[in-house]
Amino acid sequence: MTAHDTETKRGTRRLVVDRSVCAGHGLCYSRSPEVVDCDDSGYPVILQDILELEEHIAAAEEAVAVCPERALTLESS
Amino acid sequence: MTVTDDRSTPVVDFDIYDPTLAYPVDTVQEKVAELAAKGPVVYSTAHGGHWIVTRYKEAHEVLRNPETFSSYPNNLVNAGDGKFLPLELDPPEHTAYRVALQPLFSPNRMKALTEQIRAVVNELIDGFAGDGEAEFISAFAHELPTRVFLALMDWPLEDAPMFTEATDIALMGKPGASEEESAQARAEAAQQMFGYFQKIVDERRANPGDDVTSVLIHTEIDLADGKRLLTDEELTRMFFLLLIAGLHTVQGSLAWAIIHLVNRPGQRAALIADDGLIPSAVEEILRIEAAVVMGRRATRDVELGGVRIKEGDQLIVMLCSANRDADEFDDPDTLDLERTPNRHLSFGAGPHRCLGSHLARLELSIALEELHRRIPDYELVESDPPVLHATQVRGCLRLPIKFTPAS
Repeated sequence: MTAHDTETKRGTRRLVVDRSVCAGHGLCYSRSPEVVDCDDSGYPVILQDILELEEHIAAAEEAVAVCPERALTLESS
Repeated sequence: MTVTDDRSTPVVDFDIYDPTLAYPVDTVQEKVAELAAKGPVVYSTAHGGHWIVTRYKEAHEVLRNPETFSSYPNNLVNAGDGKFLPLELDPPEHTAYRVALQPLFSPNRMKALTEQIRAVVNELIDGFAGDGEAEFISAFAHELPTRVFLALMDWPLEDAPMFTEATDIALMGKPGASEEESAQARAEAAQQMFGYFQKIVDERRANPGDDVTSVLIHTEIDLADGKRLLTDEELTRMFFLLLIAGLHTVQGSLAWAIIHLVNRPGQRAALIADDGLIPSAVEEILRIEAAVVMGRRATRDVELGGVRIKEGDQLIVMLCSANRDADEFDDPDTLDLERTPNRHLSFGAGPHRCLGSHLARLELSIALEELHRRIPDYELVESDPPVLHATQVRGCLRLPIKFTPAS
């Protein structure tokens, strides 16, 4: 990440799911299908390793906020 | 079990199976709020003594920690004449069942049922829309989950009245009977269902279809004694649980949707005007009255919410008050169809998260959509108020409504 990036946007992020905590409620991918999909058992699949677009970062924040297990975190990448 | 010598432990005699909690007027939320005001974990002398978890943080902790809080027994009464499977198993055994079950109830598989469910919803509404009145439970809320679930399992719809009677007895005992008579009735009802499911198992073993029942009979599960098919007893105990879990909870939630939206005309108007509100409305309907009261047993001495719980002590987790905890939800007693975030615990949390949650959400979404499209001005009938019931699966038995007749 360059100095220029931090000035113009929040910088890239990484959405991480803790599979030991996730119970497959499915709220994350229902709320934010742009950044999370689901597998055949209903567990989340993170669609992009690195989130760059502001709208994707916002969607990821929503996914983090809806999780009843607090299994998702949005990290700086 | 003994009450701890800690004198600060609040002691109550609350009994979730007391029929007067919900009849003639439903006071469950009120009574449970009184418990929550006493503490996050209180002790009840009912049913030989048990702990009642009332707050969100502690409920979350209990549900997500199966090593300390075993899910057997789940019930304060012997509702299933033995274990409900896989609810009353702990990981890793429980995990093996879930690995087999989850794909069969996955979001994508359930989503594929959308049009089929919408057809059932509209067929049911067709049955009463022209009358301007209906008994919402028998005409809709009971029928919808019954038809959808029985189709998925491929169990004969004509057997539904028998299922209903047996599961009602399992949950509520025998109305007006003594505790002993109710216990006897529960055991008989469970055995009747096991006998019934045994016939289904025998038939599907011989002639498998592509229904969930057939798939489960023919799926090997990675259990402690090796990878194998489930035994007849394991299958029938699982089917009995799926039946109870799949029907009563949706019935109750549909009824609560009507009751709460009648009480909040502004919220209802917003929902009618914008069906984009449906997903968050479903979550809020689920939050405001959680149907299930989960049970757990401490596997070791543990401190929870300021009380000391001993190994072997029984607990119940009041999701309905956890969902109204002001530390987690702003203005928790108010229905807010746009509430966000809404991390309610109505489907539980942790490994036992409701297997049918994706199906339940779909049924509730489509029902809310079609009811508000077709009979949007429904009202309760003052002279014939709703009949609700408590127990560890709360719900609604009768809900007369009236509305402008529609085609």
